[in-house]
Amino acid sequence: MLGLLKTVGLGVLVASALAVTSLAHAEDVKLMDGVAPRPDDTRMTAAGAFKKDPPWVIGMSDFGVNANTWTVQVAHEAENAAAKDKRISKFILLDAGFDQKKQVADIEDLIAQHVDAIIVQPVTSTSANASIAKAVAAGIPVILHTGRIDSDAYTTEIQGGAEHFGKVMGDWLVKTVGDNGKIWVLRGLAGHPEDTNRYNGLLESLKGTHVQIIAEEHGDWQYDKAKKLCETLYLNNPQVDGIWSSGADMTRACVDVFKQFGTPIPPISGEGNNGYFGQWITDGFKSISPEYSPAQGAAGVRAAVALLEGQQLYKRYVYNPDGWDKDKASKYYRDDLTANVWWPSELPEDKLKEYYGKK
Amino acid sequence: MYRSLFNILSGRNTRQGLWGLPLLVALLISLWLTVETTQFATAENLFNLVAQAMPLIIAAIGQLVVVLIGGLDLSVGSVMSFTTAVLALDQPAIVLIPAVFVLAAFIGLINGLAITRFNVHPIIATLSTQYIVLGVTRILRPVSGGTVPEIVIDAVSGSFLGVPYPVFWGIVVILVAWKLLYGSRYGLHLFAIGGGIASGAESAARNFGVSDRRNIILAYVVCSCFAAVAGVFLAGRIVSGDPNVGLLFELDTVTAVALGGTQLSGGIGSLHGTVIGALVMALLANGMNLANVSPFVQTAIKGGILLAVVGLQSRKKMGL
Repeated sequence: MLGLLKTVGLGVLVASALAVTSLAHAEDVKLMDGVAPRPDDTRMTAAGAFKKDPPWVIGMSDFGVNANTWTVQVAHEAENAAAKDKRISKFILLDAGFDQKKQVADIEDLIAQHVDAIIVQPVTSTSANASIAKAVAAGIPVILHTGRIDSDAYTTEIQGGAEHFGKVMGDWLVKTVGDNGKIWVLRGLAGHPEDTNRYNGLLESLKGTHVQIIAEEHGDWQYDKAKKLCETLYLNNPQVDGIWSSGADMTRACVDVFKQFGTPIPPISGEGNNGYFGQWITDGFKSISPEYSPAQGAAGVRAAVALLEGQQLYKRYVYNPDGWDKDKASKYYRDDLTANVWWPSELPEDKLKEYYGKK
Repeated sequence: MYRSLFNILSGRNTRQGLWGLPLLVALLISLWLTVETTQFATAENLFNLVAQAMPLIIAAIGQLVVVLIGGLDLSVGSVMSFTTAVLALDQPAIVLIPAVFVLAAFIGLINGLAITRFNVHPIIATLSTQYIVLGVTRILRPVSGGTVPEIVIDAVSGSFLGVPYPVFWGIVVILVAWKLLYGSRYGLHLFAIGGGIASGAESAARNFGVSDRRNIILAYVVCSCFAAVAGVFLAGRIVSGDPNVGLLFELDTVTAVALGGTQLSGGIGSLHGTVIGALVMALLANGMNLANVSPFVQTAIKGGILLAVVGLQSRKKMGL
């Protein structure tokens, strides 16, 4: 009996040690600062499930490279991370241009090329699910980031929570304008999941308060459109206590409108964009900058490499960092770079200057 | 004799347009990809290519019908998005599938009536319906999602004797369109009406007893119904409803039609040219992916090739 207990005890000890070791392995894989395994989901890939000898060919289906300066930088960060790893012989970057059917075709093309891993930035939460499942069924690991899908048929994901992003700004705004504040809401592209989820984060912040949304419009994350909107809103009713803006270009536009009318700039939320940081530092208005780094592009490549090395990854990683204040923004701001660079970035100095240096 | 054979193949002096040129471009691209990449000439990739091109082929055929009578339908993309949204309404397929065609025909009817009865310019009329339909689609489905009937998904993703179903979709759609354009009195009327409009004699067909109004209305109804078929196919491919999935199809279909040698002024064009035009566009996308052309330059290359091919097809060059 004692022998049996000893055997069982030893077994439990060994199993525990193995579990701890595997956990440690998964945690050893550092994908990016601020990225951590999702606490409520302990699922992991099997050790060595996707192990392959290099050289590797990695494909990336980008939801839209040229949509704005942030999406361009995501592509640059991914390409740079792939170029740094000499075991990656080829990095294929395909641009869906925010076209769902093109993304389906792009993933099919990557499968047909028998790539070793596919990184997907989904255009929508459903449109690419079937082709992602097809890739996984073909034995190709699929890494998702910067967009969720309504399916579990991927290998691992890194997701910066859009609700978190919206809530960081919402919580700060509620605190800044007070319980009875009147705010404008500048939303992104109508129908885009990122817009809907960021907005849901704001609604979460407004729960239980008396903060009133007196105007709500879609600026499509664009400077031009947001400027027209803010001009109209200001001329219609300039009495606003604060502005929740879903993106930095819209914030810059709105700040410019207030400067144009020569009136104080109300508290307004921003984003980690160099041009916006410069405006924030110079004009000194109240703001917060939620973090949403384009280096998620590099993190996706690192996740693909980790899987091909045979390492274990969690099924789901989250990226929910705190918002930045002006002091932190000042540390990152670069006067010698254009407004098109986003922080934090992993691009090396020479690439930053090549892509974003003021000529 | 050789000259007349050349004329037929090149479309010169015929009402078919210059479809030989895009065919040549398609063959050259295919040849280049076969030499340059190991994956292009594989069955897997070619079947992918057919599936990728199919929504554009179907919708472009509908657009061709309208272009032949000197019109233009900018609501095509919205009808496709609307179709996917309706199909994802979580109702039985037996209700949803007929419903999308009835609704599409109704949209086409509105376009046709606005143009013929109220003399609204086709661009304005169909742009208006594009916005209306897009708005209704966004009410039905603000973001992508929902579940498309299983029968639609199976009809797109399955295969028969190793041949994927999209190939059969293509065969059926092309046969139906062939019958409509070349095997029916209606097809003849379309070319007659379009030819008259293009040459400034709008009443020419009417003088021979052809009801231009009724045929024009019917052309817009047919175009919308083809867009609905393309929408059903897309819904099966993306397995969901999506309010934005049809965006830019209105322009892509016009590009495919023009690329296939059809004159946008009406009266000249061909089904095979349109299919080739759509295939060239799909080939360009597929080929640049396989050749690992940087996404930063893909759009520019695509635009350059399209401009070159369409620019070579002036009405004068056809001898008309």
